[in-house]
Amino acid sequence: MTISNRWVIALPCAALLAGTPVVAHHSFATQYDINKPIEMRGTVTKVEWTNPHARFYIDVKDEKGEVSNWNWEMASPNVLSRNGWKPNTLKLGDQITVGGYMARTAPRMAIAGAIKDANGRPLFASAQADLPPK
Amino acid sequence: MRRFRAAFAIAAAVAFTAPLQAQITVPKTLPPATRAGGNITAKPVSGALPRQANGRPDLTGLWLRRGGIGNITQGLPKGETMPLLPETLKRMRALLAKDDPQLHCLPLPTPRANPYPFRFVETPTHIFILNESMHGFRQVFMDGRGHPPADELVPSWHGHSIGRWEGDSLIVDTVGFNDQTWFDNYGHLHSDKMHVIERFTRRDLGNLDIEITIDDPGAYSRPFTLQFNAQLMPGQELMEYMCEENNQDTAHIEGLAAPGLEAEKK
Repeated sequence: MTISNRWVIALPCAALLAGTPVVAHHSFATQYDINKPIEMRGTVTKVEWTNPHARFYIDVKDEKGEVSNWNWEMASPNVLSRNGWKPNTLKLGDQITVGGYMARTAPRMAIAGAIKDANGRPLFASAQADLPPK
Repeated sequence: MRRFRAAFAIAAAVAFTAPLQAQITVPKTLPPATRAGGNITAKPVSGALPRQANGRPDLTGLWLRRGGIGNITQGLPKGETMPLLPETLKRMRALLAKDDPQLHCLPLPTPRANPYPFRFVETPTHIFILNESMHGFRQVFMDGRGHPPADELVPSWHGHSIGRWEGDSLIVDTVGFNDQTWFDNYGHLHSDKMHVIERFTRRDLGNLDIEITIDDPGAYSRPFTLQFNAQLMPGQELMEYMCEENNQDTAHIEGLAAPGLEAEKK
């Protein structure tokens, strides 16, 4: 099975497996705002394959053409790599699309719900426990 | 050369006159996929209880606890609530989510667990419980010793644990906890008087039953018992989890740990 097939399957499976809500390092509501959904397309400038959360940073243009750098939280490397991710799944310079929810207090920080990578493949990005309830 | 210059001029003109395309959108809602995350999962396996040469159950393997992750009351019998002393309830009401020890990468002593696996390592004199999360380990003395006298116990995160086998169950008896940890994200507290008895019973190849009885007269009005299950993760190994290496969350957490005192609800 190629990785692209795995991701396509991973999304619906993840949805089915989610049963009792669990909470990991932090709960969604204390850090992120369900009322601030956001989507953006940008260029990957940094990937941190770190605990408690892997993170990626993207340069994104606003409506005035000004570029800002956004910090996106993902699941831990332990969750990601047990579900098919690799440290180089996102590469510097990749053009990706990401949707998620903004942090309550930090201006350019958000939690990644779903990603389309440079080839348009859908990827899950966060631990189920860290996302808003479905 | 002239052609190159012309092409450059056209490209530059296009670049500067093309309408700017914003790359950020603020949708009213996001598609369901943005709420579908990943989990560490254990596929159910069936088979007989494996035993060691001495006849005791073999606890070897990587285990993933289910239940009570984030909300410890999921381990109570249906309809029961946590027997909080009024003072404990009062303290819980004031707890801020940003003060959760887990958020600060501090240990997760029993009965707390998060969605990462653990492993038993058994030697003739000790059992060690290795937790992937926070890179924590517990040391259980299996050599027949008792707990130190109360005035010699040094309060610690994981306490002083002694173990014994009772039939097919491993019993772990722990005292000497500090009072710094929470049972879950709601901030169920305990005192340094807490006495915990855990009963680990590998029911079959794929399932480990975990019964945890907590007697803490410093925070609860009576002893209570929590029941959880852990599932075997065949073929998997522990991974590194260095929580401190990039913990950016702490500065951005807002609000109470148990808003609306959901902690009291089952």
